[in-house]
Amino acid sequence: MAGMKAPSTALLRAFSPLWRPQALPWTARGCVLQQQQAAPFSSTQRMEKKGRGAKTDMRITLIRYHLQHPLTPRPLRFSRTRALRHWTIHRAWRLYQRKLAEKRTLELERQYNSMAEACEALRLIDSNGLNAQDRERLGVPEPEMTGAKSDKDTGRLYRIAMRKDGIFNGAPIEYAKIQTETPSKDGWNHGWTK
Amino acid sequence: MNAGQNSARRIVASANPFIRDTVCISCRHRLTSSSSRRHAATAAATAQSSAPPSPPPSSTNSTHVPPVTTTNAIQKAYAVLAAPILSRPPLLTRELTSFEKAYYLYQKRLNERLALPFSRYFYYKKGTPGDEIWKRQVKSRKAAAKDIGVYSGYGDEAWNDEVLVGSKLAEPDEIIKALIKDAEGKSVVEDKAEAEEAEEKSQEEVAKEEMNKITIEKPMSRLTEADTTNNTKSLNRKLDRSLYLLIKNKDGRWRFPEDRVYGRENLHQAAERILVQSCGINMNTWLVGNHPVGHYIYNFPPPSKKSALPAGPNGGRLSTVQPNAMVPTSLTAGPKDVEEFGEKLFFMKGRIMAGQVELAKNEFGDQDFAWLSKDEIQQYVTERYWSSVRNVLADR
Repeated sequence: MAGMKAPSTALLRAFSPLWRPQALPWTARGCVLQQQQAAPFSSTQRMEKKGRGAKTDMRITLIRYHLQHPLTPRPLRFSRTRALRHWTIHRAWRLYQRKLAEKRTLELERQYNSMAEACEALRLIDSNGLNAQDRERLGVPEPEMTGAKSDKDTGRLYRIAMRKDGIFNGAPIEYAKIQTETPSKDGWNHGWTK
Repeated sequence: MNAGQNSARRIVASANPFIRDTVCISCRHRLTSSSSRRHAATAAATAQSSAPPSPPPSSTNSTHVPPVTTTNAIQKAYAVLAAPILSRPPLLTRELTSFEKAYYLYQKRLNERLALPFSRYFYYKKGTPGDEIWKRQVKSRKAAAKDIGVYSGYGDEAWNDEVLVGSKLAEPDEIIKALIKDAEGKSVVEDKAEAEEAEEKSQEEVAKEEMNKITIEKPMSRLTEADTTNNTKSLNRKLDRSLYLLIKNKDGRWRFPEDRVYGRENLHQAAERILVQSCGINMNTWLVGNHPVGHYIYNFPPPSKKSALPAGPNGGRLSTVQPNAMVPTSLTAGPKDVEEFGEKLFFMKGRIMAGQVELAKNEFGDQDFAWLSKDEIQQYVTERYWSSVRNVLADR
């Protein structure tokens, strides 16, 4: 950082409504508009000091000086080839992100399908673990054929599995551990006992 | 208990099936079970009213509704099994690809071009130690950011923000090194003047520096000891992948821990019981849901003369299902003779948060266990088992 001197008052002048630099980039116009207010923050103080003229707190001036730079946003100027490179990098990144998202979606879809198939298989089995095709293949009479009422246990495990008892009570707190970049010093707690 | 719930209860309690259908099954279950009632008086009243008419379940089974198929001595069946898939989630973020590393560094430098100048007098008072340290450090690295190498977004060289091919600047190790050097009060960038100064120092000065030296704790390595020795028993291995518990059963096959569903228990209860009976109680686990996340159906091959298992009259396997001591409903029902033609295995999703498997207390005669990632599991299990499990497991 070349020449760290005491702050010059040149930038302070930017806050004066009488003086304004001409060579502002078009992107900075919104900020200029923002700065054109009649009173600094509130007009109460000034109203109180009516005869003595406007005088702002020095701390407020400093904060405004340091945080409201007249050149915001800074212009980012690229040469033609540099702009092309930037565009290429940007497109490559978007493509990469899209592929990642697609991969994640497909994985979730696979997991969902496997879950749905398992639930369907569970729904169809009776107390002996047989579904209609199995019964036909093995020659087991259907429950209705034998004169009894339909097997009450058909799909019993499925019906219980679909109940949402205790599902909304929340996950255990240990489950909230987030991933980090480097492991902890102690590592996994192998010696945990009930 | 509000008015809406009361009216729902009235509907549930009424005998008319058409009215009862307006309440969904799970709500009906919750409303009719006496445990959900909050008032002690109502609970007592329902207990009194419901207790006398219901005789013990075993007597009803034997007297009123004799099971039709018991006329044949042996029932044909498929073994219904539950298998908890216990996983240790990844503890570390994934390794970044070279493209991601390069892109993040590129964005950091672009930010340096766009950010406002660092106003030193706003953050450091003149003449304070912080001010001195800042001055010394910023002289060498030129920018406020510590992890982007020597680059300033201001001045004539501001355009030169792209690093050259082969630069190691974007590597996480380099970033950690730079941040630690900065925290120790040294300049992030090596410069010759400093090195020369260090050489010229007398022994006293060096000793004095050693005294005042600040030591910053370095982060642990992402590769643990279990990784280098490839200890599949350890849960410290492959910290950025999910690990799954595989068990070598008494037949020498690698599977997820599994057992029959006994008596009137459901899949969730069965999975919890299997975890306790096969791996001991010293694991902090959580079964995520009530329903299975995958299933595996296997038809037994027709019995050959060599096999030791008793063959049934219809080509199945004869077996007597003994009751499980931990399932009271199976104890009351007693042992059951079945001829089995295959097995239907339902996987339940579980997580481990702490603890380790203890095979010493195993009740199924399992021989070995291993914590494996998804791609390793493929090498351990049979092809048929893998095809039904691969979609259940997470890629990472």
